[in-house]
Amino acid sequence: MKKILYLFFAAFLMNSCTNGFEEANVNPYEISDESLTQDFNHIGSFYPSLLSNIFGHQIEENLVAESYCDYMAPPSPFAGGVNNTTYYITWNTYWDRIYNNLMAPASQVIDIAEEGGYDVFVAWAKLIRILGMSRLTTYHGPVIYTTYGQTNSSYDSEETLYNAFFADLDEIQAVFAANEDYAGMKKFDASYSGDITNWEKLVNSMRLKLAIRISKVAPALAKAQGEKAIADPAGLIVSNDDNFNISLYGSDLYLSIICFQWNDTRMSAGMESFLVGLKDPRISKYFQPATNASLYADHPAYPYKGIRNGAYLVAKDDHTAFSMINSSFESITERPYMTASEVYFDLAEAALRGWEGAGDAQTNYEAGVRASFAQWGASGVDAYLADDTSKPIDYNDPVYSGTINDFTSRSTVTVKWNDADSNELKLEKIITQKWIAGFTNPNEPWADFRRTGYPKLPTVYKNDSNSDWGIIPANEWIKRMPFVNSERTSNPAGVAAAVATMKGGDLISTRLWWDTGNSNF
Amino acid sequence: MKKRLFLILIVLCTAIASVWAQQRSISGTVKSKEDGLEMPGVSVYVKGTQNGTITDAEGKYQIRIAGNEKTLVFSFIGMATKEIEIGSATIINVELEPENLKVDEVVVTALGIQRDKKTLTYSSQQVSGEEMMKARDINFMGSLSGKTAGLEIRKSTSGAGGSTRTVLRGSKSVNSVSDPLYVIDGIPMVNNKGGQSGMWGGTDEGDGLSQINPDDIESISVLKGATAAVLYGSAGANGVIIINTKKGKEGKTSVTFNSANTFENIISTPNLQFSYGSVGGAAESWSTTKGDYASDYVKDFFETGYNLENSIAVSSGNNKQTTYFSYGNTSSGGVIPNNSYQKHNITFKQSAKLLNDKITLTSNVMLASETTHNRNTGGYYLNPLTGLYLFPRDRDFADYKTNYQYFDTDRNMYLQNWFTSADNQSNPYWLINKQPKEDLTKRVIASLNLEYQIAAHLKFQARGSYDYAIKSYEQKFYAGGNTVNISTNGRWAYKKYTDKQAYTDGIFTYDNRFGKISLTAVAGASYQESVFGDGVSVDNGTNALLYPNEFYFQNLPSNVQVQSIYGGKIIKEGLFGSVQLGYKDMLFLDLSGRNDWSSTLALTGNESYFYPSFGVSGIVSQMVQLPEFISFAKLRASNSTVNNEVPWGLIQVNNTINSSGGVDRNTRAPFTDAKPEKLVTWETGADVRFLNGRLGVDFTYYHITSTNQALSKTLSGGEQDDYYTSAYFNAGKITNDGVEIVVTANPVDAKNFKWNTNLNFSKNTNKVVELYPGDNSKYIDLGSSEGYYARVYSGGAIGDMYGIKFRRNETGQIILDETSGKPLKTSSDDLQYLGNLEPNFSLGWNNNFDYKRFSLGFLVNAKIGGKCFSQTESMLDGYGVSKRTADARDKGYVSINAIKGTTAVTQIDPQTYYSAVGGRNGIAEAYVYDRTNIRLSQVSLSYNFDVKELGLPIQNASFSLIGNNLLFLYKKAPFDPELSMSTDLNSQSLDNFNVPATRTYGFNLKITF
Repeated sequence: MKKILYLFFAAFLMNSCTNGFEEANVNPYEISDESLTQDFNHIGSFYPSLLSNIFGHQIEENLVAESYCDYMAPPSPFAGGVNNTTYYITWNTYWDRIYNNLMAPASQVIDIAEEGGYDVFVAWAKLIRILGMSRLTTYHGPVIYTTYGQTNSSYDSEETLYNAFFADLDEIQAVFAANEDYAGMKKFDASYSGDITNWEKLVNSMRLKLAIRISKVAPALAKAQGEKAIADPAGLIVSNDDNFNISLYGSDLYLSIICFQWNDTRMSAGMESFLVGLKDPRISKYFQPATNASLYADHPAYPYKGIRNGAYLVAKDDHTAFSMINSSFESITERPYMTASEVYFDLAEAALRGWEGAGDAQTNYEAGVRASFAQWGASGVDAYLADDTSKPIDYNDPVYSGTINDFTSRSTVTVKWNDADSNELKLEKIITQKWIAGFTNPNEPWADFRRTGYPKLPTVYKNDSNSDWGIIPANEWIKRMPFVNSERTSNPAGVAAAVATMKGGDLISTRLWWDTGNSNF
Repeated sequence: MKKRLFLILIVLCTAIASVWAQQRSISGTVKSKEDGLEMPGVSVYVKGTQNGTITDAEGKYQIRIAGNEKTLVFSFIGMATKEIEIGSATIINVELEPENLKVDEVVVTALGIQRDKKTLTYSSQQVSGEEMMKARDINFMGSLSGKTAGLEIRKSTSGAGGSTRTVLRGSKSVNSVSDPLYVIDGIPMVNNKGGQSGMWGGTDEGDGLSQINPDDIESISVLKGATAAVLYGSAGANGVIIINTKKGKEGKTSVTFNSANTFENIISTPNLQFSYGSVGGAAESWSTTKGDYASDYVKDFFETGYNLENSIAVSSGNNKQTTYFSYGNTSSGGVIPNNSYQKHNITFKQSAKLLNDKITLTSNVMLASETTHNRNTGGYYLNPLTGLYLFPRDRDFADYKTNYQYFDTDRNMYLQNWFTSADNQSNPYWLINKQPKEDLTKRVIASLNLEYQIAAHLKFQARGSYDYAIKSYEQKFYAGGNTVNISTNGRWAYKKYTDKQAYTDGIFTYDNRFGKISLTAVAGASYQESVFGDGVSVDNGTNALLYPNEFYFQNLPSNVQVQSIYGGKIIKEGLFGSVQLGYKDMLFLDLSGRNDWSSTLALTGNESYFYPSFGVSGIVSQMVQLPEFISFAKLRASNSTVNNEVPWGLIQVNNTINSSGGVDRNTRAPFTDAKPEKLVTWETGADVRFLNGRLGVDFTYYHITSTNQALSKTLSGGEQDDYYTSAYFNAGKITNDGVEIVVTANPVDAKNFKWNTNLNFSKNTNKVVELYPGDNSKYIDLGSSEGYYARVYSGGAIGDMYGIKFRRNETGQIILDETSGKPLKTSSDDLQYLGNLEPNFSLGWNNNFDYKRFSLGFLVNAKIGGKCFSQTESMLDGYGVSKRTADARDKGYVSINAIKGTTAVTQIDPQTYYSAVGGRNGIAEAYVYDRTNIRLSQVSLSYNFDVKELGLPIQNASFSLIGNNLLFLYKKAPFDPELSMSTDLNSQSLDNFNVPATRTYGFNLKITF
């Protein structure tokens, strides 16, 4: 009897702890690093995912930068009509997208690429980190970049951050320049099919963009970096063929989903005011006519109607008949990150600021407008550039009676360049056109608006800002997004140190580093 | 050893041979021992045969037996069955005793081991199948509520086939639902919960319990503490619910037919107004001009549901083998139109004795097939109730009902007809007609059980089972549905997967008595391998299908991923042993221990872990002389430790291929230093019975400490060391303290009238002592839903609810916005405590009255204390459709204690007030309700036919009128707090357009041939 018992347990024990325990933990429908080494996918296959997380979605972009730069506005009175768009912070999630889906995986990929000696991939991932982080910092100010991933990571002051960006761009450009014939990126690069010379142009264009961004607060550094970008032999993105577009990898454009499927975004009143007022032919490329003719009775020749940002809204359906984006956005396959027009406008501003090699301001300004027209397939650019009478129009919300949501245009800008104008007015023209040209890519326009005050956009109609997140005066605009709650609770000391480098508290009313609040020249 | 066996065999054979053949007659009278009266209708049969008869009106019987037949069995419902050795007697008179006086109750414990209840060192409660099914709750677990102490049951509002949340003695973990282990005839059962609905819609995908045929249940034992469960290993850490199924009985073949037919109605809708319409075509009804609008369309929307449960069971057997076969058929229609449920169950159980009865082989096969159409949904999205309740009062609902679709000439097809494109509502009739949903489950549980009596005191038992289920969920959303969720060409959501589990164990049991000492020793080993959720899933969402309204793979656009899905594979091995020592049948000591090996901890070095338990019990009434009115007294105490493996998939983490064809790099840190979770339970109790057992009190106190939980932590940018964005770690300490009191009484016990009553009291106090070590500001959100946050901090409790309150000044006045006049909210950055979602204590009071052949039973359930939250009410207010908002408009204002600037305000405009307080993201504080509720849970009135008198050719027949959830004796909340949007850890006692609570009523007919 005992023998049976003994045998039974012995058999059991011999069997235990060995069979299939490790394999049981493996999800058969996930791909391991080992499997990815086939065809050398273990580095390259991560790049599409990294690139597609640079932009945000509804609550990261559409209801933040895209509303604050007045491209699009929601018809929906989200959260009882008190939300980001009325300056009461309800969503603040871009931080998590950038860190969780871009910084963390990109940094891991850099480690793998370094280990395998794939220098170009290292440089590429580092560039993608800058593409994302340079946007995130326009939301919050200080971010964690130079010490990211270290046990004692800390926030970089914005000054440190931009210096780090420039230094890293140097390093990246050096690698690209030394490997212009490298073919390894081709398979994974939907933007430039692995042509490294294109990526070098992007590096230069990024350097110019960042230099322009800090041109008021750190003019010497900005000038040095701007001139460096202009002088680099690889050149800038000055042809639409070289535009840096990021593939949607089969997905729909976020804006298209929000507009057509959710009916949660429409043309903004600011866009209506400028595009209709300036008789801008691009309006029909950006938007669709409103579906109800009574809505645009004040300008029937331009059958478009926008919604004011920070509007007073009762019910969503009140404004869903307003202008949607053009239906062509439903089928686009990529979206622009950096275009020739933006580079021209940066060069135009650089020229105004006297940066060497920037060329002539007017030439660059007009080249920017032409590039934008070409990019969007709009015609009539000559007449447009010659128009010195059309001005932005006043806005009326036809759905609500009285003056609800209405505004008088603050801007009297015209399109035609006039060499006799002051630098200030020239800058207004440049930034206004840069804003129009940058449609669907709201990050830099929002930064430009804060930095230069242009274009002269309307304020919000309904201002719900209060001491919770900071008070925005009636004639002012939101200046930044607060640090995210997860950081405020998990890293209070780090946030406090970051705030100490800023010009005010962790509030939406605190200006960022490059937003000096002083005159533009 | 062998020699003795041989001897026994020879003796047996000789005995059998000597009494072979020869028939003779035996007669006698059967009386009741209690009152000495003759008992008619008592079944008398020869053990192990089909030879039997029934006593006549005078209690007399006569039976012919063969010479070799040795034992007569006398049985009668409610009386203890008695077996009498025939010997050479020709007259056998018998007295039967009522069963309920019995103290020596046998209960089924871990691994199917039967034990005398008096020897147990922990608390357990048993509910008979008959008691369970008395009122025919369509989700049978629901009928346990109030019948056992310490058990909290919440049902989903998804109707028949929906899931149940069962928690024994409080939530012990912040990362799992603390579900108990379900066991069928000693073998662990798979009870995987499918997806649950949330505020953005979704549907309860059911669980494994609904696949059981409730008519197969003989009894249910609830082993509450981990002590009871140590032999099941970690799966039993949250308690065990043992389902014992019926088996064939020796004796006459019997056929039982049971038919339960109940109807179901909603008890009430929310309080709505129908006197104020909308202004200027708004979706909200904020007019201040009174009108009289149609109101019937709301209640007309709901239908009378039905539940038809028919089952037939055949039982037969002799002393060599028994057979049980049953077929059950359930057909239900819900209160929401087009919601229906069909179930078929087949059970076949056979038991045979081999090798001179030394081996018993039992096989059991259970088959179930479930089909659910349009299971009820919860949340804002695609829920017919949002459109139904929020509809602007001045519009014509009748037209939208008839014409829920219109022919769109632009697209040459029918599209939805509804007045708004808002995300949170659709035409209710479009939803119920044009979004057909079908959930299918097919399941087989097959088991084999071998018992081998190796020697007189030594038994070996080996069991194996295979549990296999195929589940599919498919919903077709026709083009024209709400564009927030459905593409312009429609949407197809399809998921199909299998759950499988193989289980086997082997157990030696040694049972002997050495003078005053009794010894029971158990040693065994078990192996379990499960693969859950292995299948395929696809959902195009808002990505347009290639062609409208074609719902299959070929029609998917290229940017929609068809995904292989996997819930995980877990292998568990265990070695266990237990020893029970008894001294003079009055003092018992239990010692047990188990070592588990779990695959989810592989590579950590902690995959093998041991845990012990011990317990003592003493029958005081046998040790010392107690006053005469105390007939039985027992004290017990036990301590147990259970270690629980970590969830699957934390150790090995890989990358995923995304729909863009790239690869998403994993950024969750592998949990390579994982340790098992640990639960330590202390339990002490007393079982005292008075007046010959007519009054019994069972008291239990427990203290459960859970530590080393596998907590997940999201790492913010500043914490992403080594580029990981989330990590698991072992931490946390949660305690549950509780008291359970069970009172059973038999206050009246006259000849024709009996009253049995049973009171179950339970109180559990949950405390989250620590979450993240050294950081009390960190919390875990167990679920959130626009204004409702189920959030735990250290120092709090599971079930804590947080949200936004009114902003008030120091004197408590609500601060109004100086321009808009609306009440201000507390900061969205600083959520306020709103209450706890668990009741303070629960009471169940179950009664049974027997009068002659009538029997009346009723159950009252009370949940006292705690809070619940209604997003429905918030939305109704925001849309101006609640009765409240009409009353306020009638009056012209809402009373308020507020301040605007420096001016005190006592009256506020209804629209200003309710549109700020209500709606989405309003002021949650205004929609928190006391969850206290007392209800008449079950009523049954049955009549047992006198089949003899009526001359019917049947053994038994009874007819009952039954009712469930009939009425609330007390309830403050505007909905039923025991129903949940979800049976997960989140969204408890949360109402977000849940289907209202229903009452069921009907009849049950049971006939045994």
